Amino acid sequence: MTTRAESRAARSTAAPRGASWVETIAAHLVFGVVVLFFLVPFLWLFTSAFDADAVAYIRVPAKPTLDNFVRIFTEHDFGRALVNSVFVAGSTMVLDVVAVSLAGYSLSRLDLRFKSWIMYAVLLLQTMPLSATMVPIYGLARALGLRNSYVGLILIHAAIELPFLIWLMKNFFDNVPRYLEEAAWLDGRSKLRALVEVVLPVARNGIGVVAGLSFLAAWAEVLMMIILIDSQDLKTVPLAFYETLRTQGGYTEVQYGLVAAMGVLYAVPVMAIFLATRRMMVRGLVASSRGL
Amino acid sequence: MVGRNSTYVAGVMPAAALLALFFVGPALWALYSSLTNLALVGIDAANPRFVGIDNYTRLLADPDFWTVIRNSVVFVVGSAVIGQFGLGLALALLIDHAEHRRWWLGTLAYGAVLLAWVNPTLIAGFLWVAMYDFFFGSLNHVFLSSLGASPVDWLGSFPMPAVIVANIWRGTAFTMIIFLGALKTIPPDIYEAARIDGANAWRRFWDHTLPSLRPIAALALLSITMSTFGTFIVIQTLTNGGPGINTEVIALYAFHTAFKSFSIGYGSAIAVVMLALNFAFAILYLRWSRARA
Repeated sequence: MTTRAESRAARSTAAPRGASWVETIAAHLVFGVVVLFFLVPFLWLFTSAFDADAVAYIRVPAKPTLDNFVRIFTEHDFGRALVNSVFVAGSTMVLDVVAVSLAGYSLSRLDLRFKSWIMYAVLLLQTMPLSATMVPIYGLARALGLRNSYVGLILIHAAIELPFLIWLMKNFFDNVPRYLEEAAWLDGRSKLRALVEVVLPVARNGIGVVAGLSFLAAWAEVLMMIILIDSQDLKTVPLAFYETLRTQGGYTEVQYGLVAAMGVLYAVPVMAIFLATRRMMVRGLVASSRGL
Repeated sequence: MVGRNSTYVAGVMPAAALLALFFVGPALWALYSSLTNLALVGIDAANPRFVGIDNYTRLLADPDFWTVIRNSVVFVVGSAVIGQFGLGLALALLIDHAEHRRWWLGTLAYGAVLLAWVNPTLIAGFLWVAMYDFFFGSLNHVFLSSLGASPVDWLGSFPMPAVIVANIWRGTAFTMIIFLGALKTIPPDIYEAARIDGANAWRRFWDHTLPSLRPIAALALLSITMSTFGTFIVIQTLTNGGPGINTEVIALYAFHTAFKSFSIGYGSAIAVVMLALNFAFAILYLRWSRARA
């Protein structure tokens, strides 16, 4: 079905021969468009954050300044939001690492006939959309006094990513040979000590992925923050960003510079951590989908 | 048997408690309250009445609900099936090819796609609000005006395509990563053998590359269908379901019913429909992934 020109061009692809100039130019044009499409929106975020009178469109800052970053701390109490976010995401990470290490290891070593069904049930939970259960979660949190509380925020954020992380770590532990822990048991260590001292060091890459993903997810998450927090004292980074965008967008002119400055401080930690650990993260993600 | 396992059962407990509290509990609560007239405020908040399947019959007769279902289908097909899946596959093939050719622009494209994905969803929504802004957005003020074209009311005239594009931008990386991983697992000697047999690049692509991607493709497609079906933040930031209910998808409808109209019972019925549809997708997913194993 292909024309002769097409098939000639195609024959050279994936062959060890060099690329034709048509192929080279076409591929680079496509990549150029892709790079533009995915990077241009970010360009606006970073130029506006440093622009004294930022506007909605992309331009070189007319008056380059750091003033926006100063003002979000002095006028909008962004420091408080940063501290709250770091605390909630950090605690979520610790809780998740403990819960997922215990659960992933136990599920890996459990000897039950219906174990695969437990794993399917975990996978099923992972596919449940948070946006479907947010109304019940709101009701539940209100009834249990978990609204406007650090404990509530940490427990819920720890739970959100749990099914995926359990699945990930169970597969990791499946690949850790059992003779390691059996030798530790013979030395008189308890199962818990054998896990902590012998198995976890071997599975440290998996633990790293769990720690990174749970921190990033809790840092970035906003849906639960919206329904669980009204108190200004508990305001987190996404909530501060959301409020500045909403209230000022609704009643006054949007202060794009301030919103963009908050956005930079909200997004950059996520990007930095992810890009620094991207090989590990991507491998963890691909491994978990391959283990299905 | 139980004795040998008891330590491990205890190890599962902390995670199981969290899952029971925040996954199973809310799902069961939604099922229960969907059979009542529970409200957020007023008399029905204190003393909800059991109303049987009234909420569900009301839902079926609600014309807005059917519009919302249609919106959700259009959004999922546009942004997940065509956008994230199609574009993700195309990008994976191109970037994989660029790696063989050692074209650095391919690596840059990979990084750009990844960056949009790890970026918090709320920021993604906001960046596109700025892109689409009628008076001063980059699309109108910079791009169209440099072409001499008149401005377009993106979010007013083309709300659904606008939110679809924003969601494609945000989520394409997932399928791209999955396919790139799958492409690396295809043993090169298959191609070598085909090349010796005289198969050209198109034949090798159709006969070897695509069939080896098919099982993972089915799973990736179902997986992004489920996550796109629950999309909330991107649309809420961009249009909040508007104009009218043109971009109101099912998650927004459940939220607006519960928190704007204050009818938790009715909102829960919508949530239960959502969970049921998702459950159906998930069962299909499990069957396919088991068939693969």
